Amino acid sequence: MSFEEVDQGGYVVLAPEGKFNLVAAPPVKARIDDLVAQGKANIVVDLHAIDFIDSSGLGALIGGLKAARQQGGDLRIAAAGPQVKAVLKLTNLDRILAPYETVEEARHDW
Amino acid sequence: MVMPPSTARQEAEAIAQNVPAERYDRVVRLAQAIFGAPIAALNLIGNESQFTVASVGYPKGETPVEDTVCHVTVQQDEMLEVRDLREDERFAHIPAVTGSPRVRFYAGIPVHGQSGQNVGALCILDLVPRTLGRQQREMLADLGALLERELAVQEEMDLAGQVQQLMLPAAAPEIAGVEVAGRVQPAREAGGDYFDWFVVDDPGGAGKRLQVALGDVMGKGLAASLIASEVRAVLRGHSTYTDVGDAIARTFITTRHDLEANNRFSTLWVGRLDPVTGALDYVDAGHGLAIIASRRGYRRLFQEYLPLGASLEDDWTTATDVLADDELLVVVSDGVFDVLDDSFDEVEARLDAILEPGQSCRQIVDRIVDFAVTNAASDDVTALVARRVPEDRTDAGDDAAPASSTT
Repeated sequence: MSFEEVDQGGYVVLAPEGKFNLVAAPPVKARIDDLVAQGKANIVVDLHAIDFIDSSGLGALIGGLKAARQQGGDLRIAAAGPQVKAVLKLTNLDRILAPYETVEEARHDW
Repeated sequence: MVMPPSTARQEAEAIAQNVPAERYDRVVRLAQAIFGAPIAALNLIGNESQFTVASVGYPKGETPVEDTVCHVTVQQDEMLEVRDLREDERFAHIPAVTGSPRVRFYAGIPVHGQSGQNVGALCILDLVPRTLGRQQREMLADLGALLERELAVQEEMDLAGQVQQLMLPAAAPEIAGVEVAGRVQPAREAGGDYFDWFVVDDPGGAGKRLQVALGDVMGKGLAASLIASEVRAVLRGHSTYTDVGDAIARTFITTRHDLEANNRFSTLWVGRLDPVTGALDYVDAGHGLAIIASRRGYRRLFQEYLPLGASLEDDWTTATDVLADDELLVVVSDGVFDVLDDSFDEVEARLDAILEPGQSCRQIVDRIVDFAVTNAASDDVTALVARRVPEDRTDAGDDAAPASSTT
């Protein structure tokens, strides 16, 4: 899966598409790791084009979140659809990965 | 007729049983294209049948072993090449030569199984007599080696899946007054879902309890199954000595390094039931998919805790409920929930089916798992169902199959 990436200076927006699963998650996670390693640890994952997430997708987001926080940054998610929100809520992962409605809201203090 | 050793034929049969559809078709198509032959096939030689598990230009399926050329190929170490089958007395009589598709040319390379013995052959067939050049022979041998690697991986995965299945509880727990059943249907040979049950002594000395657990390690396949096995074993160990909340907290401390090093997390739901009173202690570590259901409705048994490994530690403190003797405890994995559009409204709409009277826990579990599999679940699918069977309720004996687990 390819995904959009926009470097806004103070933060980077990644926008994967389609199903965020075992196939799609590893390249996104690898890219997050690269960005964090380059010191770009403020990341917004724009999920508006994701219609389905599974545990591998969640794992990539949580792994990315941990990596970003270890470097003093953060990973935030924006524009999650109903299925993504339902899964985040079910697993209580919304406690550490709060969904923002828009990329603008997610990056408000960066 | 001299046949290859029977262990090889057993191995071939085992592989043939488990060949995923289309698994080897690519290599066979490649062989067909490279040699410009109308037919290419991977044939495994079993006790009485040849199993065509991948093919182009020839149907998959079984052929009596004596009607095949490959059964001879597997008895030798080198390639078997027959310019014209009609002129070879070993093969002139076999149906594929005398009748449709009237094959004339055969070249096959034996393929080894994990045991090192020949389990089958990769072959190409043509309708006209021909001869292979040296390079073509080498090419066929290379393709055979490629298939061997594939077969070895599949055998390893099948074995891993068997190990994982054998680690599931198979016998009814040794505790009176409760019926329990569970089933895992991994999306691949092995997976990150598991369930468990076992009897523990209440740490307060109040008697025996049935502990049930259902966990889901992020991801699929063999890697997830390794972590699942660890979490299961560690939880078992800690559960002997303490309450469920503390057992989960300790399980996280013990498994934390391995979860974090592998960037994995595990949701986990653990319940501990007193069959006599119905008192149910439970902890929900980000699993969220446990309910108590009856004709009167359903309630979720969930907490706000994180899965193990998702973050730093959490509180994981025991909550309590009571399982009435007409109620079912149902715990499933997200493979089931995904099929229900991740919606509890859909769950509610399906409850009638599992609450139909006269079903054993085993039948209810099968109903849930079969429903998810039929509806094209792409994830591992797991269900665990338990209920109390008060000992004075003798009519339960008809339906209450012993606790069970299956693949």
